[in-house]
Amino acid sequence: MSLLRLAWRNVLRQRRRTALLSLVVVYVTVAVLFLFGFLDGYGESLVEAYAQYVEAPVVVAREVWWQDPDPENGFRELPAVAHPLVQAATPRLSLYALLRSPYRVQGGVVLGVDPEGEKTLSRVPFKVSQGRWLSAPGEAVLGQRLAERLDVRVGERLVVETGKGALGLLVVGLVRAGVGNVDFGGVYVHLEDARRLSGGRVLATHLALKVPRGKEEGVAQALNQALPEGLRAQGVWELMGPIRADYEGSRLFYVPLLGLFMLLAAVAVVSTTYVSVRERLREFAVAESLGLSPFRLAAQVALEAALASGLGLLLGLLLGYALLWYTSTHDVFGPLMRLSVELLPESGLSEHLYTALRPVYALYAAMVVGLSALLALLFPGRLVLALEPTRYLKGE
Amino acid sequence: MKRFGILLLALAAFALGQSPLEKLKSALDRLRGPAHQAVYALKVERPGSSRTYRLRVYTDGERAHLRVLEPKAEAGMAFLSLGQDLYLYDPRLGRTLRLPPSGRSERFLGSDLTYQDLMGRDLEELFQVTEEGGTLRLVPKPGAPTPYGRVEVYLREGFIERVLYYDQRGQAVRELRMGSYQRLDGAYLPRTLELKDLTRQGYRTLVEVTEVQVGPVPERCFSPLYLERGC
Repeated sequence: MSLLRLAWRNVLRQRRRTALLSLVVVYVTVAVLFLFGFLDGYGESLVEAYAQYVEAPVVVAREVWWQDPDPENGFRELPAVAHPLVQAATPRLSLYALLRSPYRVQGGVVLGVDPEGEKTLSRVPFKVSQGRWLSAPGEAVLGQRLAERLDVRVGERLVVETGKGALGLLVVGLVRAGVGNVDFGGVYVHLEDARRLSGGRVLATHLALKVPRGKEEGVAQALNQALPEGLRAQGVWELMGPIRADYEGSRLFYVPLLGLFMLLAAVAVVSTTYVSVRERLREFAVAESLGLSPFRLAAQVALEAALASGLGLLLGLLLGYALLWYTSTHDVFGPLMRLSVELLPESGLSEHLYTALRPVYALYAAMVVGLSALLALLFPGRLVLALEPTRYLKGE
Repeated sequence: MKRFGILLLALAAFALGQSPLEKLKSALDRLRGPAHQAVYALKVERPGSSRTYRLRVYTDGERAHLRVLEPKAEAGMAFLSLGQDLYLYDPRLGRTLRLPPSGRSERFLGSDLTYQDLMGRDLEELFQVTEEGGTLRLVPKPGAPTPYGRVEVYLREGFIERVLYYDQRGQAVRELRMGSYQRLDGAYLPRTLELKDLTRQGYRTLVEVTEVQVGPVPERCFSPLYLERGC
C-alpha cells in the first residue's frame, strides 16, 4: 500500500508530464473503443441486412445449387426440415431474368416467394413504401431505386423474361428497405410465376429458415448432420457475398493497427518514465540505502507508469463510451452509408450503421496500462535494478 | 371496265368483311413480304454520329436469315430467326450461339430496331386488336410480355404505313414508318423503313431494301449449320 501511495505521489509531482502522458492514453483508448464499436456495428448491420432482407438466417438448398445457382438445380420436391430452433420456413425460387420497361432493359435476379410465407421470415414485405405487397400471381414488387431506373410505376406492367419464358407482371408495390440489394435490385414475384419463368420443372431453388439471432451458424451445422445427402444448409455468415471478405479484411487490418497504437502509447509512457527515473536516480539511491529493495523500487517505477496510463484510460473510457453511446443511438453514419450504398448497390450494405457498445472493449483498451507497466519494468526498472547507491550517494 | 368495277367491289366487300385481327395479319404479311432475298441497308443515326450496315437477307416470310456484309468489322455476323428460336453466329467467337427468347426484344446491331421488328409477329400474338376510324388499335392481352400500353397501326389500302408504340402512360415512345411498298410478282415489300426512338432526340434507324429477288429461298438457309458458311 505504501508503494502505491509513493508511486501516486510521484505521478502527481510532475503534473504536466502526467497530463501529457495521460492524453496519449486517452487518445488511444478512445480510438480502440471507437474502432471496435464501429467494426462490430458494421458486422452486425451486415448480418441484419442479409438475415432479414437479402437472404435469410439459414438457407437450405441442394449441394448442386450451391455450386451452380441455376433454377434447374432446385428442388423437385420440398424437403422437410426439423429443428427446434427453426421458427418458420418458406420456399423461394431465384432466377436471373431480363426486366423490360418501355424505356429500359436491365438484367437482375428475380425472387419468387410465397407472399404469406415471406411475411413470417423477411422484413421486406413490411417495407413497402408505395402500393402493397404481393398477394396473387401476375404481380411484382420492385425495389424503389430499381423502379426508378427502369422508370416503372405502381400499376404499370413490367416484362420479366428468362430463357424459358416471359411474363408481363403488374407492379403492385415498391419497396424502400434501406438495404442496397433490395432497393436497387429487388424483384419479388409470386412463386407460381417464378416456376413458370423457370420452365415449371422445379418447385423452389432453396428453403429460407428463420432462426433466433446468433444461432444461425449452429442451426446450419446441426441441420447438416440431419439433412439427407445432397442437401446443405448455410448460415447467414456463409450467405454473405464479397462484403464478408471486406468486413473480415477490415478486422484483419484494424486490429493489428490498434495493437500498434497501443504499443506506441505504452512506449510514449515508458520513455517519459525513463527520463523521469534518470532524473531521480539519486532519490532512488537514497531509498535503496534506507532499506527499500531494488525490486520494490523497480515495481514502484512500473506502478508509476501504470498509474499515469491508468488515469488516461479512465478518462478515455469515459469519452470513448460516451462517443459509442451516441453513435449507437444516432444515425451519425447515415450519410456515409447512403453514399456507400449508392457506390456499391449490390453489396448488401445497409443505409444505417450504428456502432456496437460492449463492456469487453474496456478490457482491450486496458491492455495499454498493462503494457506500459511491463515495459516500465523492463526498461526504466532495469536502471533502478542496476543502480549503485554508494556511487550516487557520494555524488559521483 | 365493268369487270374491273366488279373486282373492286369484291375487294371492298372482302376488306369490309375482315376482322381487325385479320387485317393486321394480312398487313403484317405484306410488311414481311414474300419469300425473297435482298440487301438491306441499315443506317443507325445517333446524335453526332451515324453508322451504316449492309445485310444480305433471306426470308420465306416466316423465317429469316440475315448476314452482315458491311462494315468490315462486323462482316460475317449472321442471325437466324426460326419462330421463337434465334441463333447468332459471331465470326470473332467462331461459333453459333442460341439466344434465349428474350433476345428477340434486344436491339439489332445496336440500332433502334429489335429482332422482333425485323422478323417477329408479336403484334398478332400479344395484343387484342380493335379498329377505330381505319386505325388498328392494339392493347396487350392480360399478362402479355410486352412493356407497351398500346400500339396503333395506321393502314393505307391494307398496307402498314405507320406503327406507333405507346408506353403505359399514353406517351408515344417508338414510331415505325414505312416509306413506300414495291410490288414484286404480285406480292409487296416496303422499300424503306424508319424507326424513331421518341424518348431520345436524334435516335433514328433507317432501313432501305434493295436488290430484291423474289422466289423460293433454299431450305439450307434456315439451318443453324449454315449460319457460319452462308447459304
